[in-house]
Amino acid sequence: MDFAWSDEQMQMREAVKSFAGDELNADLRARDKRGEFSRECWNKCARFGIHGLPVPADYGGMGADPLTTVGVLESLGYACKDNGLVFSINAHMWTVEAPLLEFGSEQQKRKYLPDLCSGALIGGNAMSEPGSGSDAYSLRTTAERRGDRYVLNGSKTFVSNGNVADVVVVYATLDRSAGANGICGFLVERKYPGFQVGRPLEKMGLRTSPMAELFFDDCEVPVENRLGREGGGQSLFTHSMNWERACILSNAVGAMQRLLDMSIRYARERKQFGQSIGKFQLVSSKIVDMKMRVDQAQAALYRTAWLQTKGRNVYLEAALAKLTISENWVRCAEDAIQIHGGYGYMVESEVERELRDALGSRIYSGTSEIQRVLVASLLGL
Amino acid sequence: MTDQSATMAVVKAYILEEFLPGEDPALLTPTTPMVSTGILDSLAMLKLVAFLEREFDIPIKAHEADEEHLNTLEAICELVASKRSLVR
Repeated sequence: MDFAWSDEQMQMREAVKSFAGDELNADLRARDKRGEFSRECWNKCARFGIHGLPVPADYGGMGADPLTTVGVLESLGYACKDNGLVFSINAHMWTVEAPLLEFGSEQQKRKYLPDLCSGALIGGNAMSEPGSGSDAYSLRTTAERRGDRYVLNGSKTFVSNGNVADVVVVYATLDRSAGANGICGFLVERKYPGFQVGRPLEKMGLRTSPMAELFFDDCEVPVENRLGREGGGQSLFTHSMNWERACILSNAVGAMQRLLDMSIRYARERKQFGQSIGKFQLVSSKIVDMKMRVDQAQAALYRTAWLQTKGRNVYLEAALAKLTISENWVRCAEDAIQIHGGYGYMVESEVERELRDALGSRIYSGTSEIQRVLVASLLGL
Repeated sequence: MTDQSATMAVVKAYILEEFLPGEDPALLTPTTPMVSTGILDSLAMLKLVAFLEREFDIPIKAHEADEEHLNTLEAICELVASKRSLVR
């Protein structure tokens, strides 16, 4: 790995910190309690250029390389405490914009990417079903070609942005007997006949990121909205997951640094037995462990993004980055609560929310167990 | 040995060792379907792509990591050859 942040990259990172700190944290405790998504903050981020970071300028984006993109998202995660909002933006970028860029026709790119970058459209991704999660390709939602349309039938669950999305990448099978090779991706608009949004799903953490079930009842999708070739859903999903695993936790690295800084401040200020609690080695060693985990996470994130910038597949590195960052985020949040003691356990301290937000990262985009299976297999085991 | 047959030998040896241990090598022909028959599942395809990139120093695009390009030894060799011609 051989890189250093340029002046321009550093300026972008500082600018996003300043923007996020000023604009994105208002009323967060109440919004988290209500499980409320902020369209206003979504739009602010889009205007700043976050949503279009990896998208070429031709399609309305900033055309940033992967390393610049994850660096900016890391800074966003440091200053924006609304992890749910950033999760929604990540889902939009990595599971809709990224596959559109690689697999979309020119017409599809021109039609959707500018509005996805501007935030006018919200994107979602519908793969998981009630009966298929880690066994992703065992899905039951079907697609049947009828003339100039595909007709989709089935249901999806755990759809991030599901109840606010305008366009959703939906995976369905054209031929169940073909297994993973029968799957296809479709760009499905909310307004299409037969598309129905189910109940919103209430989550433990990331509560400001909406999630819902989706239903397809003879849902008609124009042929020109097929994403990639028939039966090409597996490579589409692999591509999408690869970007997601590599980048979706960029903001978590920033959030971990924020937790570390908060914990150092608290350990210096909080006095017990006549001295700062940071002087007690049982407390300071937790902070050292937090620092070690932040550095591990940052290294995994940067290495993966640097390799992506070089145009190489990063199956192994992305799985390792996802695993390292999610596990370290949870441990950092636990340590931050422990260091803050009773205050850390209180909602008003805004530390406990970080742990609730972090826990989901061990599950989405492939559980930690699935990442380990992937890594072991890619190591030749 | 031509480039194409050398590539075929390397890829065939890798697939036999990784995904078909103990199998009679004669049964894996240049046209034996591997993706559509489940010899190469989704995880095996990732491993194969990673191997091809490393072994032949070529980048493989996401949309090329599919049944169309990886189903047979013949298709894989064509993919490698097309990538090598771009690198040269």
